Parts: sequence; structure tokens; C-alpha cells
Amino acid sequence: MRHHLILRVITKLLVGAIMLFAFYVQFHGDFSPGGGFQAGVIMAVAFILYGLVFSLHNVQQVFPPWLVHKLVALGVLIYAGTGIVSLFLGYSFLDYGAFTPDHPSHGQHYGIFAVELGVGITVTAVMVAIYYAFAGRPPRLSDEEW
Amino acid sequence: MGFELTQEYILGHLNYWLFSVLMMTGLYIVVAKGNLVKKIVGLNIFQTSVFMLYISMGKVTDGTAPIFPLDMDVDPDVIYSNPLPHVLILTAIVVGVATTALGLALIVRIQDEFNTIEEDDILKIERAIVQTENAIHGDAMGGRA
Repeated sequence: MRHHLILRVITKLLVGAIMLFAFYVQFHGDFSPGGGFQAGVIMAVAFILYGLVFSLHNVQQVFPPWLVHKLVALGVLIYAGTGIVSLFLGYSFLDYGAFTPDHPSHGQHYGIFAVELGVGITVTAVMVAIYYAFAGRPPRLSDEEW
Repeated sequence: MGFELTQEYILGHLNYWLFSVLMMTGLYIVVAKGNLVKKIVGLNIFQTSVFMLYISMGKVTDGTAPIFPLDMDVDPDVIYSNPLPHVLILTAIVVGVATTALGLALIVRIQDEFNTIEEDDILKIERAIVQTENAIHGDAMGGRA
């Protein structure tokens, strides 16, 4: 089974670039359009593309389903945890100024960074989980019947 | 009546016209197509038209991105676009992904159960099921099941 040569080569080239772009959108999100939602979807696209071209089995070895399901919860935990931490530092929920009281705008950078990271992780994991759930179903036609 | 169909009126409300066309395209697909996957596609087009309406309404002429400058020295003369519709639609897009996934999951189950995703065929099969139920249990249910 070595067909779709062009798809395989192009996918190998693209997956890295897509992930890099996802990280750019993620971490540059507080200066330019972008953020956790968009970056999460772009990151998920890298995995889904890999899964489409190199089969579900291979992508699940890279990004196993148990890890995906843990990451769904982890992202929410990071988001809510950021809020709880600022709560324990004596500020309001999600008041990012709490992280660097002497320089609030730095704290806001760190806070938004953490919250967007949580959003990004959850969105990536949810998208990949949805893909796994649909693609993991037993096929109606086996490959030989085509 | 105060409004006339001037060129300014038509071009000034371009987003509304495009919204109407796109929304009715989606509605037509939902109503007219029998294939359930095509219905989901129609629903998504419908949804996208609403997103476009809100996002275009949030744009203020000559407005820039509503981000504070790094030194927090806000120039009161700068016009910002309205970020509220954009945030609203960001949430709506996420909800849209979830509803699409739910709809597709339901279609997958229907495909398992009826071996078809054409609405007409599903209705035929369901009618046949009801008729056999009637034949078996009809008397106990007072002639109608």
C-alpha cells in the first residue's frame, strides 16, 4: 500500500508548517488577530491531516486517544486554575494584575498567555477527539471492496 | 414612507442583502434536499450568514482593531471597531462546531439503523415499521398504534 505518493510527501512537508503556524497564532494572539480558538483548530488540522493521509492508526500512535481525552480536561483546568490563582492572591477571579502586582500590564500578558494556552489545548483536543470518534468507527466497506 | 431605493441605500446595506441571499440559500437547502448530510451543510450556510451579519455590523467605518496601545496611552480621537459582536460570534462559531458534530453523530446512528440517509427512504421504512406494529398490536391499542 504505497499509493498517494504526492499526498504523502506534501503532508509530511505541511504538518510541521501547520503546527508552527498554530503556535504563531497562539502566542502572538495578544498582539494580532488570533488566540486559543483559532490556534487550537489549526493545530487540530495538522493531526487530522496526518490522520487522513497516513491512517488513523498512525496518528493515534503519535497522539493517543487517552491523551486527547486528558488534554480536553487539562485545558479547562488551566483556564479555571488561572482564575483561581488570582483569587488566592487576593484579587478578583481572572484579574491578571495579580501575577505581578507592581506592574499590572505584565501580569495581564502572563494571564492572557495562560488562559489562551488553556483554550488552545482544549480546542485542539476536542477537535481531534471529534475526528477520532467519527473516523474510529468500523468502516462499512473494507478497503478491498472498493 | 421615508425610504427610497437609491443607489446609496442599496450599496449602504450591502451586508444585509448578502446576508439575506446566503440565509435563504441555506434555508432552501435545509428544506429542499432529502439527504441529511446536505441538510447539515445547508444549516451551516444558514449559520454562517448570521455570523457574517453580526461581524459586518461590528465594523465601524475607519475603525481599527480594538486593542489598547502597549503604553496604555489611549488617543481619544482613534475610532475602534465594535469588538462585542466579534466576541459573540466567536462563541457562536464554537457552538456551531459542536452542533455540527452532534448532527453528524445523529446521522451516523441513522445510517446504522436504517442503512440510508435519504429522508424519503427513512420515512418509508418508518411507515412500514408502524404498519407492522399496527398489525401486531393494533387491537390492544384500540385500533391505532
